[in-house]
Amino acid sequence: MKQYNLLIVDDEQRFADMLARRLNLRACNCDVCYRGREALKILKRKNFDLILLDLHLPDIYGSEVLTRIKETDTRTPVIILTGHGTEKDRRECMQLGAYAFMHKPLGIEELMSILAQIGEMSA
Amino acid sequence: MIDKFRKLLGSLRPEFYHRTAEHLNPYFTFTDYRKIWAIGVFLLAATALVPLIVVTIIHNQLIQKSVDSEIILRTERVASNARRAVTFFLEERLNALRFTVNEIEYDQLTNSDLLAEILRNLKLGFGGLTDLSVIDHTGIQVAYAGPFKLEGKNYSNQIWFVECQKCNFYVSQIFRGYRDLPHIIILAKSFRPDGTFFILRATIETERLIQTLSSYETGAHADIFLTNRSGIIQTSSKHYGKIFEKMTLPVPNFSHRTQTVISTDGQGGSIITGYAFISTQIADTPFILMVIKQKAGMMGAWQELHSKINWFVGLGIMVIILVVTITCTFMVNKLYLADRAKAETMALMEQNNQLASIGQLAAGVAHEINNPLALINETAGYVKDLFVIKEQYRKDEELMENIDYILEAVERCGTITRQLLGFARKFDVKIQKVNLKEVISDVLHFHNKEAEYRNIKIHVDVPEDNLEIETDQGKLQQILLNLVNNVFQAVDNGCWLDIHASHNGPDKVDITISDNGCGMPQENLSKIFEPFFTTKDRGAGTGLGLAITYGLVKKLHGNISVESKEKEGTTFTITLPTLIHEEISEDEGSIGR
Repeated sequence: MKQYNLLIVDDEQRFADMLARRLNLRACNCDVCYRGREALKILKRKNFDLILLDLHLPDIYGSEVLTRIKETDTRTPVIILTGHGTEKDRRECMQLGAYAFMHKPLGIEELMSILAQIGEMSA
Repeated sequence: MIDKFRKLLGSLRPEFYHRTAEHLNPYFTFTDYRKIWAIGVFLLAATALVPLIVVTIIHNQLIQKSVDSEIILRTERVASNARRAVTFFLEERLNALRFTVNEIEYDQLTNSDLLAEILRNLKLGFGGLTDLSVIDHTGIQVAYAGPFKLEGKNYSNQIWFVECQKCNFYVSQIFRGYRDLPHIIILAKSFRPDGTFFILRATIETERLIQTLSSYETGAHADIFLTNRSGIIQTSSKHYGKIFEKMTLPVPNFSHRTQTVISTDGQGGSIITGYAFISTQIADTPFILMVIKQKAGMMGAWQELHSKINWFVGLGIMVIILVVTITCTFMVNKLYLADRAKAETMALMEQNNQLASIGQLAAGVAHEINNPLALINETAGYVKDLFVIKEQYRKDEELMENIDYILEAVERCGTITRQLLGFARKFDVKIQKVNLKEVISDVLHFHNKEAEYRNIKIHVDVPEDNLEIETDQGKLQQILLNLVNNVFQAVDNGCWLDIHASHNGPDKVDITISDNGCGMPQENLSKIFEPFFTTKDRGAGTGLGLAITYGLVKKLHGNISVESKEKEGTTFTITLPTLIHEEISEDEGSIGR
């Protein structure tokens, strides 16, 4: 089974940690950060197979983070994972190049199937 | 027949007369449209009719006065002329007698031949004289010239003889006397050289006098005759009694001048009476000249015109009342319809606002719950992951089952929050041509198995195979699916579901979904589109299905209504436009940020 490198960006620390642990159990290697700027810094020095990005981050709004990511890296898929998303957010993020727009709470199996799709595409 | 007539009358009644939508009452600007209508009809009719009626009355009175004064004037003129004629008739003959007694001696007058000669000359000069006689101071007729043999008659007991002793000239009333023919006698008294008096008496035929009077008669409704001062008729009258009888009218008051009065006759008819007390310069007479005109007869032509005017005015009043009533009814009805449309819009807006505010609140709550829910989900999932990894826990069914309960509960909460967000959000509408029959068929496809299993009969009635509208197919499917789901939850096994779709005018379609399930009480009907309103058992339904359906129908520019009777069934009617012209606006909502 392929080892995926994931970056989870979410200000809900416990949620982000717990999701990382679950994904780690499923042969994923997860990095977690809780701020937008922090995520951008990490992305400068490390590549990931997938980024899970919350919208409501305390320092930079998620869509802005997405914009900056796509300015330098158009290949890494970004999944927006939010509990507050509106239709406008969905449309904006999809236009900015998000791979998917998902609502919390999230089924882990659903996320794994998306990962599998990404894996197939990259292969 | 009577029922049909009542139905016809009922259909003519304006809508404000039987307003039914009581739930709209608080939104109406005016409350009592019948009162407004009544006041309107009264004021408009009064404004139009009062001047007309007042002018008509004034006009009638003026005409009446004018006609009255004209008739009075004419009557007075006739009476005055007839008075002069009668006065002249008597005065002329009195003058002849005065001349005779002054010029001819008593002894000569008692000569029968000379008296006959004088009579002949008088007849030639004036006519109308029957005889001539001389009566001495004892009342004995000493000489007579005429057709009767009355010489030697004693008149000392006659009233006229007594009266003549007091004055020099005398005119009698008309009487029959010894000859039994109506006649008048006129007397002239003179004195003999020995100081005793004698009287020259002439008898005048009444025919000449009657002819004179008749010449002043003017038409069938006029009467002219003489009466004496006691009211005994002297010449024949057409309407007020026979000769020598008491006339049926009162004797008028004495006046030197010709007078005219308006009074009533014995039958209550209005009459105009012109009268004059006849008096010559030589002697007074007992006669009163009466000229009587019946007002009704004299005013016949005017009455006819008056009647025509009254009919015309009456007809005009009826037309005015009819036009005012119709106009007022039309205007008040238009006002009522506009007010009702406004009330319906306000009621709808209030309902929409209520739904929107509840929806926004619900969506806000859903957003806030999502993050902790996600944490629970991940934590429980992680615990489960750990247990699955460790052999000793993987076989503990109770432990795994309990973790699954937590995950199921989280999933259920997630479903609710997603539905709430779906209720609050507006999504893009993709307009395309949609065949209603196919959409209904697609939706029912999901329920065919259940219907078969539960013996629920489904009947689809779409008369037009190509009944197409331009709308969002996905949303229409969701609407129909929600409603059909609702029916399947509401009906017992063995019931039926009926779906009907047809055109409602050129630019609308109606889709009705009916069942014979348990129905709903009336008090629930106004709440069923509110979020979280459910009649199902606690936990069995979210109460969002119909609220979402309502929002979707509105998004497609449609309307949804419901009718229901307990234990009889429920009918949902969706009305959708066949074409959505304008782009549907998108309301992002102000939630979650």
